[in-house]
Amino acid sequence: MHLLLFGLSHRTAPVELREQVDFARRGVDAALDELARRPAVAESVVLSTCNRAEIYAACARPDQAAAELGRFMAEFHGVTPAALDGHFYRRDDDEAARHLFRVAAGLDSLVVGEPQILGQVKEAYAAAQERRRTGALLNRLFHASFGVGKRVRTETSLGEGAVSVSYAAVSLAKKIFGDLTGLNVLMLGAGEMAELTGVHLMAQPVKRLTVASRTFASAQALAGKLGGSAIDWRDLDAALGPSDIVITATGATAPVLTKARVGATMRTRRNRPLFLIDIAVPRDIEAAAGEIEQVFLYNIDDLQAIVAENLAKRTAELQRAEAIVREEVDAFAQWLRARGAVPTVVALRERFDAIRLAELERLEPKLAGLGPDAKARVDEITHLIIEKLLLTPTQQLKSAADPSDVVAYSDALNRLFRLAPSEAEAAGERAADADPPADGTVKP
Amino acid sequence: MHLIPFLLYAASAIAYAAHFSRRDPRAGRAATAILTAAALAHTFLIGMQRMQAGYMPFSGTPAAISFFVWLLALAYLYTELSSDERAMGVFVTPLIAVLQLIPTIDVPAFGARPAVLASPLFALHVSSLLFAYASFALACMIGVTYVLLFKEIKAKHLGYFYARLPSLAVLDRMNMKAITVGWTFLTLGVVIGGVWALQADFRSSSDPRAQAMTMMDPKIFVALVCWLLYSFALFVRRATGWGARRSAWLSAIGFLLVLLNFVPVGYFLTKSHNFF
Repeated sequence: MHLLLFGLSHRTAPVELREQVDFARRGVDAALDELARRPAVAESVVLSTCNRAEIYAACARPDQAAAELGRFMAEFHGVTPAALDGHFYRRDDDEAARHLFRVAAGLDSLVVGEPQILGQVKEAYAAAQERRRTGALLNRLFHASFGVGKRVRTETSLGEGAVSVSYAAVSLAKKIFGDLTGLNVLMLGAGEMAELTGVHLMAQPVKRLTVASRTFASAQALAGKLGGSAIDWRDLDAALGPSDIVITATGATAPVLTKARVGATMRTRRNRPLFLIDIAVPRDIEAAAGEIEQVFLYNIDDLQAIVAENLAKRTAELQRAEAIVREEVDAFAQWLRARGAVPTVVALRERFDAIRLAELERLEPKLAGLGPDAKARVDEITHLIIEKLLLTPTQQLKSAADPSDVVAYSDALNRLFRLAPSEAEAAGERAADADPPADGTVKP
Repeated sequence: MHLIPFLLYAASAIAYAAHFSRRDPRAGRAATAILTAAALAHTFLIGMQRMQAGYMPFSGTPAAISFFVWLLALAYLYTELSSDERAMGVFVTPLIAVLQLIPTIDVPAFGARPAVLASPLFALHVSSLLFAYASFALACMIGVTYVLLFKEIKAKHLGYFYARLPSLAVLDRMNMKAITVGWTFLTLGVVIGGVWALQADFRSSSDPRAQAMTMMDPKIFVALVCWLLYSFALFVRRATGWGARRSAWLSAIGFLLVLLNFVPVGYFLTKSHNFF
């Protein structure tokens, strides 16, 4: 049984194509049911996010299954196969595992280290499991990927720190105020920058948002969009008093908030903290205002510096995360190879045991004179001889470092002992649902 | 037996440090478990001493310190469990471990005590004050972390503490809560002490300690200074809108004064409170 990945992501396909093959439109469940009708694919998990559409499959013949999955993608989404050409990637066995582990760890994401993807991987697996589309191979693979995601999360700081200006501002506000729900936010300016930041901030529930602009109409327009209220520019001082967060994004050429003005506000606030975010260029708030007790002033450059620093930190953590992925891929590959040897080992054991039983039967007349105790001893001894003869080759086969070695060894055993392919395969089927025991022996 | 609480406290300090520096939740849970075990062992030790002595074992400086450490450990554990915030442990547990070293080396002995200490008012006086001190110790640690985080945010350098400490607002709330509780018990302790001194009628006794029981005795004087300082931190903040950072500083300095009063003054200087 082989592992196969077939899919596309933001790295290989433009957004138009990703929209077309988004499983969310017809539902992942429908896709899983459709896949269940294609016998070339034994197990399948459909991972669908806005940045990727991937199918993880277990199959006996990878080439055949890959072709089948290509047809499925085109048919299911109603696109021509030609449109998908060159955008899809295929990964086999270890490489498929490596891909999923990197995805689960957030290493393949648009924003490296973003935490949502692990949850999406878990959902994709749960959906497939509910439809009984996963077996021993994909179960093992996905549980390993959750482990990788968790390890990268806890052992590296890959997912830490804000990597966008508005997120940096929100995380700062949370570090100052703890909870934003009781806060008043005042926005000065109603331009594009103000709107952009406002939209991000309003994703956080706050108590009240007020917009002030030199032209009242545009303040009203933005307030309407963001779900706040507009005030007249002349009422600014009155509005400053109760505000905990002030975002300035006006087109003014001279500072709107001078140190004296902020100082006067702080007196009415009785030194409750005030967070000033100045995203205007040229600046709207006098830099000296940041010297006032309990005033936290960040301008656009400060926020961008934080973002740059966080991005640099993430890059530094990348190597550690990749090392974790490598380690886990190695462990998985080891398991996968050991699994590949299972049919041969089982067939070999069955062959030996068949010979043993046949010989015992042939010698039955000569053994007839023995008592039941002695007969049992003969049975035990012959069994042990087979066990011991098989122990070393079984271990060697399973611990072969190179997957091609496993194939070569299995092949050699099949030929030397003339194990019929059907015999090996049938034995493989029987063993498919059971993981090989760790001690290197296989119970028939 | 005296060694066990100290060793466990020291181990918890190491675990909290590991938790803080590596941000490993498993180390954090281990730290809490060790500290809980330490507090339980300490409870057992104090219970033993209580049975041995026949009275609450906190007369004499080392015994009082042991009792104080026990209260501080319990107060911290309560704070951690109620706020689900472990970051302060790395600051509190080293203080706990270092202070516990004193009663571990200078093992308190409990013999017959002066008759005057048998009053229930004495037990109330000491336990209120020790609890007040424990609250102030917590307030101090919280204040220190507030100042550290405040500096990072103000300097626009979001670094080590930014990633590890709760928000300024949470730290400020915890700090004010600790100061309020501490101030309440300090007031209570001082008032009970005064009532007890009057009731016991020290003045007319020939006990040299009684002669020293004045406002100018170092122990009493520093205690009153502490009271003024915390009153200031509590009421001026509310009345005039003092910044949270100044309160944090004040709580940090206030505890230094408490500690000064507790250990060096208690050991060497006071003439009125040297009961053993």
